[in-house]
Amino acid sequence: MRLLVIEDEDRLSGILKSKLGAIGFAVDIAASGADASAALELINYDAAILDLGLPDGDGLAVLGATRQAGKGLPILILTARDAIEDRVAGLNAGADDYLTKPFAMAELIARIKALLRRPGGVLGMTLDAGNVRLDTVGRELTIAGIPARLSRRELTILEQMMRRFGRIVPKAVLEEKLYGIDEEPDSNPIPVHIHHLRRQLGTAGASLLIHTIRGVGYILAETKA
Amino acid sequence: MNYRIKSLQLRLTLELAALFFVASCLAVVGLIYSASLTAGSLADRELGLRAEDLARSVSLDENKKPRLDLPSSLKQAYSAAVQQSVFAIRDKDGHIVEASTPEIGAMAARWPPADSEPSYFRLRKFGPSERDYSGVSIKLDSAAGPLSVLAAEASGSDQLIHSILREFVFDIAWYVPPFVALALLVAAFSVRRSLLPIRAASAQASAIEPASIGLRLPEADVPAEALPLVVTVNQALDRLEQGFVIQRRFTANAAHELRTPLTIITARLDTIEGNGQLLALREEVARMNRLVEQLLCVARLDSLALDVSSPVDLHQVAEEVVGSMAHLALSASLTIALTGAHHPVLVTGNTAAIADALRNLIENALAHTAPGTEVVVEVGPEGTISVADSGPGIPAEDRPRIFERFWRGKGVRASGAGLGLAIVMEIVRAHGASITVNDRIPRGARFDLRFRSA
Repeated sequence: MRLLVIEDEDRLSGILKSKLGAIGFAVDIAASGADASAALELINYDAAILDLGLPDGDGLAVLGATRQAGKGLPILILTARDAIEDRVAGLNAGADDYLTKPFAMAELIARIKALLRRPGGVLGMTLDAGNVRLDTVGRELTIAGIPARLSRRELTILEQMMRRFGRIVPKAVLEEKLYGIDEEPDSNPIPVHIHHLRRQLGTAGASLLIHTIRGVGYILAETKA
Repeated sequence: MNYRIKSLQLRLTLELAALFFVASCLAVVGLIYSASLTAGSLADRELGLRAEDLARSVSLDENKKPRLDLPSSLKQAYSAAVQQSVFAIRDKDGHIVEASTPEIGAMAARWPPADSEPSYFRLRKFGPSERDYSGVSIKLDSAAGPLSVLAAEASGSDQLIHSILREFVFDIAWYVPPFVALALLVAAFSVRRSLLPIRAASAQASAIEPASIGLRLPEADVPAEALPLVVTVNQALDRLEQGFVIQRRFTANAAHELRTPLTIITARLDTIEGNGQLLALREEVARMNRLVEQLLCVARLDSLALDVSSPVDLHQVAEEVVGSMAHLALSASLTIALTGAHHPVLVTGNTAAIADALRNLIENALAHTAPGTEVVVEVGPEGTISVADSGPGIPAEDRPRIFERFWRGKGVRASGAGLGLAIVMEIVRAHGASITVNDRIPRGARFDLRFRSA
C-alpha cells in the first residue's frame, strides 16, 4: 500500500512517514504542489494525505487537478484551516475526508484505513477487525481463524461496520443497505439483526463489541483487553 | 468657585432671564430720561411763552415809566399761585419794573441784564417755601423798550413725567413679563429640541460594546456646535475598532500558529512507546490541543459576524454531532443517546455554529458525568435541544457565571480551560436563542437550548 503525503512542514511529514511506515504503508513525500502533481501523475497511489496550505499555492488546486485527470484515489485533506467554508470547499473539490491540525495520529490512521476499506479501496476486499476477517468478494467470514456463518443480512451489517470500524454507522445507512439486498420485505427491524449478530459474535469468540448509540446508530469496537 | 451649572438648558434660560431683566431696567431708565427731557423742553417752552406774555403786558405810564398791566385772567392765575409761578421784570436800566415776590425781585436785581438768547436756570430751596425752581431769563422788546424778563416755575410739579411714565406702564410695559416668559419658553424649547439628536447619540453610545464595536454615533441632525464632538468620538471609535481587530487577529493567528508545533508534538508522542508518564503527557497535550481549538473558535466568533440566516435541521445536526462524539463517550465508559424528535426540526441559524455549541455542551456533559452513566441529547419538535448528564449538577449560585470565559467550577475534576460554555453562549447570543441550566431529576444537570423556529 502506497501513500503520498503532501506536506511542506518537513518535521511533520517525517513523523507521518515513520509512523505510517511502521504499520506497513510505503510513504512518499511531496513538499510542494508541483512535486505532488508530478508524483501523482507517475505513480498510482492507494491514497493521499494533502495539506491545504502549500508554499506554491493552494492544495485545493492540486486536488482539483488530480480529480480532473480522472484519478479516483481517496484523498484526505489535512488543514490548519478549520473554517467551515474551507471544509466544504475541500469536500466539494473531491476530497474524501478532512482532518484539522492538530490531530491525533491514531485518528489519522483510523481515517486513512476507513478510506482504504471502502469498496474499491486497497483494503476494501478483505476486511480485518480484531480477530474477525471478512472476505467481501467471497463472502467468507472467519472468527479467530475459524470459518463462521451468518445470514446475508447480518453479514451485510457486519461488513458496513467493519468498513467503518471504530466509527459510527448510522442506522439509516444500515437500513438502506438492507433494503437493497432483495425484494423480499424484511420483517425484522435493525435492532433485531444487531441482537442476533451480537449473540453470534459472542458465541464464536469474536473480540468485537457492537455499541448502540441510541437514536443514532452503532459503533463496532474491539473488546477491551 | 468651581460651581457651574451643567445643564445647558437651565444655563441658557437663566442667562436669558438675566438679559431680559437688565434690558427691561435699561428701557425703563431710558424712558424716564427721555420723558424728563421732553418734559424739560416743554417746560422751557412754556416759560418762554410766559415771559413773552409778561413783556407784552408792559407799557409806559404817564410818567414815561414802564409798568406791568396784566390782563385779568393772568393776574388771577399769578395771584392764585404766588409761590408757584414767579417772575421779575427789569427795564433797560436795571430797575425792577415788577416782581411777583420780593425775593425774586431782590435776586433779579443782582443779575446782569438778560440776553436776547434765553438762558435757563435752576433755583434750589428758594424763597420762603424753599422750593426748587426752574426758570428762564430773556431780553424781550416791549412797548416800554427792551426788558429783562425772568420767569420761573416751582419744580416738583413733574406731572408730565408722571403721566408719560404712567402711560408707558399701562400701554406698553405690561406686555414685558409675558413676553419675557414666552421668550424663555421658546429658548428652553428650542434648546431641548436641538439637543434631542444628542440624546439619540448617547442612547446609541450606550449600546456600544465589544460585540458591537462597529456601531457609530449618528451624525445626522446633530447641532453644528456638538458635531465636532460626535465626529471626534466616532473617529476615536474607528481607532479603537482597529485596535480590537488587530488584537482579535493576533489571537486567531497565535492559536493558528500553535497548531503545527502541537501537531508535531502530538505525533511525536504517539510514536514513542512508554509508561504511565507518557500517557499523562499525551493527555496534557490533548488538553492543549483542545484549548487551542477553543481559542480559535472564540477568536472566530469574535471577529466574524455569524451568518445565522440559513435553515438548520436540528435533528440532523444532533445526529451528526452525537455520532461523531460517540467514540469519545465509549472511551470514557459512558453512553450517549439521542432522543426526542426523529424527523427534521427546522430552525433558522448557522449549522456549523449550532454543531459547535452542541459539541461543547456534550463535551461538558461527558466531563462531568460518572462512568457508566448516560448523556442524553434530546431534540424537541419546537426547536429545542437539551443535553442532560448525571453528574453532580450545577449549584444555583454558580449558574449566572458558568458562561463566562475561563470560568471553572470549584472542585470539578474536569480540567478544561473554561471556554466551552462561553463559546456556547456566544453562539446562542448570535442566534437570538436562549439557554437555561436546570436540574435533572433525580441527578445531574440539563442545558436547554431554545432556537427561533424557521
